[in-house]
Parts: sequence; C-alpha cells; structure tokens
Amino acid sequence: MSAVSELVAEKSIVTEPQAGAVKLTMILSGAVFALMMVFGLIMRAAQGQLIEVDPALFYQLLTAHGAGMVGTAALSGAAIMWYFCGRHIVLTAGIFWAFLALFLLGVVLILGSIFIGGYGGAWTFLFPLPAMSGGAWEAGAAAAFMLGYVSIGVGFLLYYLELGRQIHARYGSLVRALGWNLILGREDKNPPPPTIVAAAAVTIFNSIGIILGAAVLVASLVHLLVPGFEVNALLAKNLIYFFGHVFINASIYMAVTAVYEILPEYTGKPWKSNRLFAIAWNAVLIFVMAVYWHHLLQDVVMPPWMLVVGQLVSYFSGIPLIAVTAFSTFLYVRGSKMTWDLTSSLLVLSVAGWAVGSIPASIDGMISVNKVMHNTMWVPGHFHTYLLLGEVAMAFGFMAWLVRGKTIAQMSGLDRVAFVTYLAGAAGFVTVFLFSGAASIPRRWAVHYEEWLMHDRIGTLFSVLIVMTTLFFVLRFVLRLGRSNG
Amino acid sequence: MQPIVLLISLILMAALSLVFWLATRASNGPEPGPNANSKRAGLIWAMTIVGVVVAVGSLRPWPHALASTDDAITVSITSGQWWWDIDTVEIPAGRPINFSATTEDVTHGLGIYTSDLRLLTQVQVIPGYTTEVSYTFEEPGTYQVLCMEFCGVAHQDMVNEFEVVAVEE
Repeated sequence: MSAVSELVAEKSIVTEPQAGAVKLTMILSGAVFALMMVFGLIMRAAQGQLIEVDPALFYQLLTAHGAGMVGTAALSGAAIMWYFCGRHIVLTAGIFWAFLALFLLGVVLILGSIFIGGYGGAWTFLFPLPAMSGGAWEAGAAAAFMLGYVSIGVGFLLYYLELGRQIHARYGSLVRALGWNLILGREDKNPPPPTIVAAAAVTIFNSIGIILGAAVLVASLVHLLVPGFEVNALLAKNLIYFFGHVFINASIYMAVTAVYEILPEYTGKPWKSNRLFAIAWNAVLIFVMAVYWHHLLQDVVMPPWMLVVGQLVSYFSGIPLIAVTAFSTFLYVRGSKMTWDLTSSLLVLSVAGWAVGSIPASIDGMISVNKVMHNTMWVPGHFHTYLLLGEVAMAFGFMAWLVRGKTIAQMSGLDRVAFVTYLAGAAGFVTVFLFSGAASIPRRWAVHYEEWLMHDRIGTLFSVLIVMTTLFFVLRFVLRLGRSNG
Repeated sequence: MQPIVLLISLILMAALSLVFWLATRASNGPEPGPNANSKRAGLIWAMTIVGVVVAVGSLRPWPHALASTDDAITVSITSGQWWWDIDTVEIPAGRPINFSATTEDVTHGLGIYTSDLRLLTQVQVIPGYTTEVSYTFEEPGTYQVLCMEFCGVAHQDMVNEFEVVAVEE
C-alpha cells in the first residue's frame, strides 16, 4: 500500500449513508447483469448456429436483454450516485426503498410480459409494433411490458425529486449546484463538488426524458386498449428515442460519480469542481438532450436541420468526455504513484472504455456514414463498448471498492486474471461487432446467413469470457460482503 | 465506404487506448507539468476545428438529396409484415433511381444490398409517410432488399430482390 493511498484512505472516513440498501441494489444489479449477459451469449450462439433457438424466443431474449441491460445500468448508476450524494446531502432512506420496490415491480411486469405473455417487441417498443405482433403476443402482454416501464419511471422520478429537493435545500438552487458561480467567476464559499454537479445535471435531463417517455408510453397503452386512437408514428419515435437516449446516457453520467469519489483515494488528489468542469457538465446537460436525433438520421421526413444538429452534437459531445473527463483522468493518474488494485483498474478502464466507445458512435453519427452503418452490427458495437467497458466497469469497480476494506493492495493473481480476461473478452466482443457492421450484417436478426456465421462464432467465444468474469466479479462481491458483514 | 470507416475507427480507438495505457504507465512518473491545461485547451481547439471541417465536408452535398426528377426513375416499394412489394422488376443501370417507400403496418427499414450482401444505402419506412432515397446502380445484376428495422417475429425473413439491367445507348 502506497503512503499516499494510506493517508487518503485514513482521511476519507466519511459517512456511508444507506450502505445496506446500496449494497443490496448492487447485488441485484450484478445478478441481473450476469443473467442478461447469458441471454446475450445465447443470442450470439444462436446467430452462429451453434445452438438452435426459435426466432420468437430469440426476440423475447433480445427484448429482455435490451430492457434488462438498460434498466440495470440505470439501477446500478442510480445506486452509485445516491451513495456518493449521501456524502454531501442528507437523503431520505424511504425514498430509495420506494424507488427499489417500484423498480422490482417493473422488472416482474417486464419479465412476465416477455416470458409468460410472449412479448418480443424490443426494448424500444417502437410504435405501433407492440400492438401489431402478427400473432406473436397479445395486447395484454405489450401492456404489461409498458406498465413495467411506467413503474420503473415513477420510481426514478421519485428518486430525482428527492435528489433535486435535497440539492436545492443544501445549495440554494439547481443552478448553483450546476456550478454557475464557477462559470461566471463569482465567489462561492461552498462550491458544489463534482458529484453534486453531476447529480444536478442528471436530475434535470433524466427527469425530462422520463416524463416524455411516460407520455409516449401512455399514448401507446391507450392505443393498445382503443386501437382507433392513433398516434403519429414519427412523433412517437422521437419521444421514444429522446427518452431512451437520455435514460441510457444518464446511467453512465450517474455511475461516473464513482470515479470522482473513489479515484482520489488512490491518486491522493481530490477531484474538484472548477470552471471548466462546470462548463463541461452544463454542455452535457444540453448535448444529451439535443443529440438524440442521431438515432433518426435515416428518417428522411424529419426536418433536415434536426438531422444536422444530430450529426453535429453527436461529434461535439465527445469534447467534454475526451478533453475534460478523460484528460482529467490522465492528469490525476500521472505521477500519483497510485496502487493498481481491482477497483482502481476497473475505474480507469471505465473512463477509457467510455471515451473509446464514443469514437465509433460519433463516426456513425455522420449522416453519410449512417446510410451504410445504421442498424447494422456497428450499432451494438459502439454501445457495447461504452457500456461493457464503461458503465458496467464503473459498477464492478464500485462493487470491488465496497468490499475492499481500508487497505489498498496491489491486485492479487486471481483478480489480475479476471481483470485481463474481462478486458480481453469485452474488447474482442465489441471489435467483432464493429467488423460485422462493416460487413453490413444487420442487427436484430434471429437467423443469420452462412456468410455471417464466422463473425457470430468468434463473438460467441468472446462473450463466454465476459460471462465468466462477470460471474467472478459478482460472486467475489457477494462472498466478501458476507465475510465483512459476518 | 465501410472498410474505410472501419479502418479509421479502429486507428482512432487504438490511438486513444494507447494514450490511456501510457497514462497508467505514467502513474509512476513525474507529476503533470504546469502547462498541462494549455495542452487541454489545444486539444479542445483541435477537436473543434476537426469537427467543423468534417461537418462541412460531410454535409455538402446533402446526403439525403434526391436525384432530379428529370433524370431519375421512380421505383415504388410497399412494405408490410413481412414482405416487400417492388413495382419495377428490372431497373436500368447507370440512371439515378428514386426509391419511394411506404408501409402498411409498422416501421420497417429499406436496406438495399448487393448480391454478395454489401449494404449500399437505406432509409426508414414509417407508417403514415412516404420516404425516399436515391441510388444509381453502376453494375447490372441481382440486388436484394433486406429489412433494417426490427418489425416482429419474422423480421429476418423480410427479403426481396430486383434486377438491374444494362441499357444500350
């Protein structure tokens, strides 16, 4: 253990608010991550014709995998941010329990709709597909799926209401919590720490996203009950992708608070808010909401200026990420003499994976490229990069930190093997997706042509590595949690 | 275009990964120098300039521009779960084609592929709208239409084809 790390570890004796609830949430998150990865493995193996899966079941697994991964990324991100916000503001425990209960109710409804009701309309519930299954599922199954989303959304709104309320109580306003005194060069004796700046921004944009998502969910539910009630399909698509894009990005922006709060224990340098940091987060607040049009670049009936904004913001969103978050990580790490254990390795990897994943995403955000890459395997290629190597790595890093104890030691042999295997598995897995996208293989196809099987089979091998190491990370967390509690 | 996109992406991704790897190695080196933040400012300016140049270069001409109706032939494609109906059996090579697509039920994705499964262009087909995309086929042969937007349990079976034929001057 380095002298600097020891000093910081001793100094960072801070309150651990609602640690029990957060640890339980991380156990659930880890278990669902593992299960959803198994679903992913089954789908890749089925595409590679290594196993036989009926297309109806394939699309049910696809729906569960998408909804489950997005939901769990958001759940784990929310738990992480709640935990670290508790260092700066007092949060009501009952709200988190209510949030968790509503989330679990949503999970039950979603899983029931898929595996009992047969719903397989993908996590994006693109209007009017849920109501037009071609006989694969009944309207009731689609309604249960959407009610599950509504339950999860209500839970998240409660969560953000409490966060916003307490941030307002502590910092006077969300504007101040967003760092506007820093931006305007005004004196602020109590500037918001990075975690609070992040929480304020996410509270604003994800609340807006969830409310707009609720609007299209309600309209879709009414359409299921009263088929004569028509919804404009393009408007519905805009609302769905606004909600979906904002929600999945919010999961990463919540989880990054683990980097802000934990990495300083290793580097000995506290992660502080400054003018550039505040500007970056205010840019993120706008960019996250303005960029969703890059999902509609092939919807040529959209006003062209919206597609241009989608392309531009898609690229310029990379600046706060690469030039602020990633660059700051370089500066904090450089010369820190930090100890590389599982926690610090996963957290630095998460920033790298997030930043690297933004590159194929930005390139696909160009309209001319999107014409030949949209809805090919390129798309899961880029989002798996910043989820598997980004958000999920942040969650695993946080879990490793929760059970680390006060001593920081170099990675043990087993941890090192697991870390390297996870990195190799995830990097290989996403690279195969990118090659498949460049080979024009469409995404979300249950059955693949002979020409594509080699891609699928190599991807399957890498996904086995990911599943194995994920099981290791989750079991390691649960076992050490039991030991420390015992 | 796809191999070039792949190559550029992999090079940039590898370069950024290398920077991260070097950063982790530098944890045992000296602390950042006093001009670290000016390097950051340089990076922000460089990314901004590259972004503007690439945006201008890639948006002119407008990627969704349709071919002039004076030269182009319009081919109508109707779609539904899980079929494509193409109103023209043989399409002439060397002339711009405006594909005009509609759907009778859910959203589909009109993807036009070569016979060896390379995606040439695509457009989303949305209920209640007619969407159009232009393409000029230089080579005669069989081309395929694949669905690019998940549309239900037989999505992967939503395939059709058409012929592009050489036209004598």
